[in-house]
Amino acid sequence: MTTASQTMLGLASAKDLFALTKPRVMSLVIFTALCGLLAAPGTIHPIIGFTAILAISLGAGASAALNQWYEADIDAIMKRTSERPLPAGRMDRETALHFGIGLSVFSVLLMGVAVNWFSAIFLAFSIFFYAVVYTIWLKRSTPQNIVIGGAAGAFPPAIGWAAVTGDVTLMPILLFAIIFFWTPPHFWALALFMNSDYSKAGVPMMPVVAGRKSTRHQIFGYSLVLAAVAVAPFALGLAGTIYGAAAIVLSAVFCLLSWQVSRSQTTAPDDMAMEKRLFKFSIFYLFALFGAVVADRMILS
Amino acid sequence: MSEIDSSKTAMSPEEQKAYQARQKQRAVILAGLLMFMVVLFYFITIVKIGTAS
Repeated sequence: MTTASQTMLGLASAKDLFALTKPRVMSLVIFTALCGLLAAPGTIHPIIGFTAILAISLGAGASAALNQWYEADIDAIMKRTSERPLPAGRMDRETALHFGIGLSVFSVLLMGVAVNWFSAIFLAFSIFFYAVVYTIWLKRSTPQNIVIGGAAGAFPPAIGWAAVTGDVTLMPILLFAIIFFWTPPHFWALALFMNSDYSKAGVPMMPVVAGRKSTRHQIFGYSLVLAAVAVAPFALGLAGTIYGAAAIVLSAVFCLLSWQVSRSQTTAPDDMAMEKRLFKFSIFYLFALFGAVVADRMILS
Repeated sequence: MSEIDSSKTAMSPEEQKAYQARQKQRAVILAGLLMFMVVLFYFITIVKIGTAS
């Protein structure tokens, strides 16, 4: 027999279904995908371009829904995620699963029918990578979860590029690599001051498994690799001076902040001002760098 | 028999009202989304036909 509260759970509100798509994360996905699309050589009709971005956004939302369907147990333990629709008891898991699968299928079909099937397969793979490889397989089993899982978040600009050209060349691979190497320092800076949350939930984030000192050094190491990858499009002649100047300045600041974090020995999360500053700057860094990719192409072309 | 039959689900009048309000809200949003998709596919078709010719 179905109880009244179960019936209400089965009919999740539109607001909670929207929250299931992690709208804040989606904004970064939309922005990077749009930058990939605008930076690609060639032209795309604005309606088709809009549809491509819509499909990528829906795909990202679907991945987020599937992620929350699988992680409802650990989300309930962590303070940061305990108010999400599933752990807060405003929706049942079955609804989240159906919503995630339905949205995945729709986004891939939309991309295939309206844009091209290469981007559609690419989008399907990115959803599979985030939902299965990262969420189900890696996140709970290895401290390298963020490193490899970061690839899932790095696909959107390459998919945006593929929507225009129908293929993937060196430049979209570099855009992919920028987000890939940006992810560890970004998330580990967060994990440093959210350490207790992750350890309580048993998620093997780097600070929980390898300790804060090792994590701090790895943040700096990845920042150096990120700087090299970020400057590469300019050094290889794939981007102009506007991008080159932005990449050099932004990466220098990123490395400086990472260096400060690597030297810090603070253990109390409330005192981790440098870690919080790096985390905030990392978000600005990505927006500014991808903005520079587009500005460079728009102005110089 | 409907799954939301009050004799089966033991809903209070307030719960039933909230349930129906939520149903209505979802139906309105879904209708809006479907309309949006109809318009979008109309324009996609126009663009595709234009490109093909």
